[in-house]
Amino acid sequence: MNFDWALKVSGLGKIHGVPDLRALEDTGPDVGTAKSALTGAIVAAWDVGFEVAPGEALGVIGESGSGKSTVMRCIAGDQTSTTGEVLLRSLDRGRTNVLDLDPSARRRLRVADLSVVYQDPAEGLRLNVTAGGNIAEALTAAGWRHFGRIRDRAAELLERTEVPLSRMDDLVGTFSGGMRQRVQLAKALANEPPVVLLDEPTTGLDASVAAGVLDLIRNLLEETGVAAVVVSHDFAVIEMLTTRCVVMNHGRIVEAGLTDRLLEDPHHPYSQRLVGAARA
Amino acid sequence: MTEHIFSCRGLTKHFVLHTIDGRRVEALRGVDLDIRPGEHVALAGSSGAGKSSLLKCIYRTYEPTSGTALLRLRSGESVDLTRLSDQEMAHLRGRDIGYVSQFLRAEPRRGPLDIVTRAGVSRGMDRSTARDAAVHSLRRLNIDEKLWDVHASVLSGGEKQRINLAAGTISSPQLLLLDEPVSALDPANREAALDLIGDLTTQGVAVLAVFHDIEAMERLASRIVLMRNGRVEMSGDPTMVLDVLTQGATA
Repeated sequence: MNFDWALKVSGLGKIHGVPDLRALEDTGPDVGTAKSALTGAIVAAWDVGFEVAPGEALGVIGESGSGKSTVMRCIAGDQTSTTGEVLLRSLDRGRTNVLDLDPSARRRLRVADLSVVYQDPAEGLRLNVTAGGNIAEALTAAGWRHFGRIRDRAAELLERTEVPLSRMDDLVGTFSGGMRQRVQLAKALANEPPVVLLDEPTTGLDASVAAGVLDLIRNLLEETGVAAVVVSHDFAVIEMLTTRCVVMNHGRIVEAGLTDRLLEDPHHPYSQRLVGAARA
Repeated sequence: MTEHIFSCRGLTKHFVLHTIDGRRVEALRGVDLDIRPGEHVALAGSSGAGKSSLLKCIYRTYEPTSGTALLRLRSGESVDLTRLSDQEMAHLRGRDIGYVSQFLRAEPRRGPLDIVTRAGVSRGMDRSTARDAAVHSLRRLNIDEKLWDVHASVLSGGEKQRINLAAGTISSPQLLLLDEPVSALDPANREAALDLIGDLTTQGVAVLAVFHDIEAMERLASRIVLMRNGRVEMSGDPTMVLDVLTQGATA
């Protein structure tokens, strides 16, 4: 069996501070810290790797500070990485390391190759622009020019993410948290990217609203065939959305596996503590 | 060997509990088991004997510690489930190997018809075939049509269990693992569920099941495997094994 990947990450690392590799020796899960006493640097992520196939959702789980958002931001281009390789099948058939591109080329990838849904909708949307306007920005970036068609497409996307069309011309800043997240999803999917990164997409929402957004994400992932990376500290989210996941602790992946296996038979001491705490 | 659809040898599972001073728990201590197509094998034994652990090791919800577990795929190829990559295993799930647990996973805003139809689609059926099969199966399991679009989270335990069974059996895998699939059902619905499981066997699906009631085993099993302390203690004709069981002579 051969599985084509849509996104392949290998050896990804990010060190804040002096990029002295001796910091790797006194940081990580075994040492219990990401901060090196030797060099003073923080190893936010090191040697992180995984592949995601079209139609597959991979989870990245860990506590705050484990490095999971760093990984996502390095892939997305919101942060520069210290080392590593990120390949997208849609870019040069996966032969170009995304991390080697200049900033403007990386920004262009965000138009139609790689979308991000942030925990805070203010990062993915402009709050002083209407819902329809936010989506129109994504579409015009991809070359859409015809006003009527842009409006039709925006309406279609909002309908799909269950935003009432009556709110299309309202400023996103007037929306509730759950509704903003739905608009962000609509914008992220506007140009049908093959890869979507979701960073804590339901964290901070009321439980009932979070459940609704989670269902929506699950439907969208199933129906679009997109390759997704879901970053979350919440096992319920990971369990609902992903089939495989990796566990991060102090900047490193400590365990990878099928999601149900990681929940029922975690091997690494840290995974066992994490699952034990979630089940308590 | 070629006549078997499933064959495991020396399957073990040890847990190391790092949160309790690295304590070792041996759930399986070397299980050998062969299953032929269309054979229904019921696992018997007291709780803690390793019945559910065996099912979970085969489905890779637990990672086996050692041993082999060969499954013949629909394609005719044989694979060792213990050696497959996670992606390969995820791909086989539902298609070649099915697992129905006692509980329905949380599905907050989907109704029974949607849940069962999606299960079919995820296993490669086209949408309308999957929907027809879902309708058929929900009717057969007496799920009131008025509830078909009601969110499953508000349904009763027995209804959820039947939806779970309908989803797990919508396509015929090579090997179906059942872990207490009728434990929450009243007698009439239990009958319907057992009928459906019996039909799978008739269609040639190999079934490995855990039931806690002897009656279900008597009715469905072509063979009973008695487990004790993480090993197979006895395997044979249902009447013979059940005689031993009911006499309490398991020592």
